[in-house]
Amino acid sequence: MSTDRDSLIQPAGVRQVPFLILFLRFFENLGLIVMLIIVVVGTSLIEPRFLTVINLINIAITASIMAVVGFGMTFAIVMQGFDLSVGSTQALTACIAASLLAIVPMPVAILGALLIGLLIGVVNGVVIAELNVPPFVATLGMMSIVRGVALLYTKGQSVLIVGHDEYALLNTGKVLGVPAPFIIALGTFVVLFVLLRHTPFGRHVCAVGGNKMAAISAGLKINIITVAVFGLVGMMAALSGVMLSSQLMIVDGTLGVGLELKAIAISVIGGTSLYGGSGNMPGTFLAAFLLAVINGALNILKIPAFYQYLALGALLIFALALDTLRRRLFARILKESS
Amino acid sequence: MKSKIVEGQWALTLLARHWTRGVIQVLLLQYTIQWMLLLAIIVLGLVNANFRTMANIQNILLQSSFVGIGAAGMTMIIISRGIDLSVAGLLGLSGVAIAELGPRIGMVPATIVVLCLGVALGACNGLVVTKIRVPAFIATLGMMNIYLAMAFIWTKGQVIAMESTRLRYLGTGTLAGIPLVFLVMIAVYIIYYGILRFTTYGRYIRAIGSNEIASQMAGLHIDRVKIFAFILVGFCTAIAGILLTGLLSSANAIMATGYELRVIAAVILGGTSLSGGRGTLIGSLTGALFFAVINNALNMFGVGAYWQYVTTGLVLVTALAIEATRQKLIGVFRT
Repeated sequence: MSTDRDSLIQPAGVRQVPFLILFLRFFENLGLIVMLIIVVVGTSLIEPRFLTVINLINIAITASIMAVVGFGMTFAIVMQGFDLSVGSTQALTACIAASLLAIVPMPVAILGALLIGLLIGVVNGVVIAELNVPPFVATLGMMSIVRGVALLYTKGQSVLIVGHDEYALLNTGKVLGVPAPFIIALGTFVVLFVLLRHTPFGRHVCAVGGNKMAAISAGLKINIITVAVFGLVGMMAALSGVMLSSQLMIVDGTLGVGLELKAIAISVIGGTSLYGGSGNMPGTFLAAFLLAVINGALNILKIPAFYQYLALGALLIFALALDTLRRRLFARILKESS
Repeated sequence: MKSKIVEGQWALTLLARHWTRGVIQVLLLQYTIQWMLLLAIIVLGLVNANFRTMANIQNILLQSSFVGIGAAGMTMIIISRGIDLSVAGLLGLSGVAIAELGPRIGMVPATIVVLCLGVALGACNGLVVTKIRVPAFIATLGMMNIYLAMAFIWTKGQVIAMESTRLRYLGTGTLAGIPLVFLVMIAVYIIYYGILRFTTYGRYIRAIGSNEIASQMAGLHIDRVKIFAFILVGFCTAIAGILLTGLLSSANAIMATGYELRVIAAVILGGTSLSGGRGTLIGSLTGALFFAVINNALNMFGVGAYWQYVTTGLVLVTALAIEATRQKLIGVFRT
């Protein structure tokens, strides 16, 4: 009897269950960290050269460029959309940044590239929100259009960046031994993490992704949110384009083919559910590192590059199975508690 | 008496109104893509004499066929409200398989083996989607990477030459002036139309695409139907892989990069809705032909290959924007 009354006053389940979920949430990224450690330790045991500073820096740079696109994509997936045009956008903005460098100072060139990315994203958003075209088709069309524009803009040639040491610093520069691309990625991560978790805008994005009808009923301006999110995705793709051009110093219109699928993959491997409504930014960051580390390991172990397809595919299926398992577990815990 | 006349007049006006409505619907709102294709062919045929030549028409038919064959299966899966992004990997793997197996076990057994492989891999896609319960979009994306890797590992990243004259004839030959590949495509469409229209599973595919929960409550085996739809995709992709290997006389893993998006573009242009339940095979066939005609015309007018990316994208987005407006218009007409 007393237990019954206790449970009425303070339902025991309600208290414990969120704790269990919080506990699981806390360790959400643990799987990725463990996998990261296994790959790093395993590879360095077989091939000690894996742990050289130069190799690790290369991996960090690759991961940072991928992560920046992934952050934007995570936002889109939280809203239950995705953007297939990021690869083309990366190519176009890399070429624009490279060619602008020849005529204007560096900050203006970078700003120009970012604005182009923003513009592409906003057009995506407007087509999706105002013309009611599904994100899949709108961004698929945009992917094709922007790829064409990038190839037309460069006339199919390579654009060489010469005599811009300060631009190369974006890639080779170091602050306290930390490579600059990683700092850029970290900065972006902090801003977007706060934007998603701790601002009204972020909550609105989650609301739209979680239940669109409810969000409309609650009076959210879905169209503006959609345009803003796709603008953000475009700008992140542009930022990665700038970073990539500073790494390569020679760019062309064929960069970034298949990037859109990689970006979606790292968001999903990072634990952002394709069902929308919630996102895991740290997971995206870790997943980008995991992929870069696997690629680096395959390179240094002289395993043919095409095994990375296998790694990506297997990781993706594994992450999905895990996500399904987790959702079922959460559903069961919540059901038992209620 | 008087009231009867009024009634008769009312019926006449109603008939007239319905008739105009029917004409408007048929002319403008239905068969949009077919009208557009017809218009494009007539205009191009009048403007450019080269367009009318037999060789060019054969070329268009040939080029549309590979996308068209894939689009048949993709239409089925999109009608069931799924999607299959793994077709590029599957096509590469089928092509590699026929090129590797053909010389060893003979052409006919190899073809049968590859078709079975397509069915098996399609079933594999279906199992991953239904049993792990993940969105088809991302599951098949993962499977594409795995198939690509399998094809790469099999060929060690090399291009495999294929010297079978019979297979080459299948890929490049013509019958009464029509490319054999095109005839195969027509056969695939007839079979798939039969499946979609006249079999129980075909009806189930539509039902699941329209309303999955209702279908489940009605007692349909959702998983089985979905796996069946994926098998249909795998089967026709394997056919496309065999034919493309015949056309190119070689096979490699990445011979079909971007194939999935071209196929989906043709299906969507053909009026199949991504939200499931609605779509026609004839539309997808027209969509594939339309893209082939447009690309052919661009080549003919000397427009650079790069512009083709731009026009393909514009066609796709415009078509879908028109489709969205059309849906609104139909809503207006119905009320």
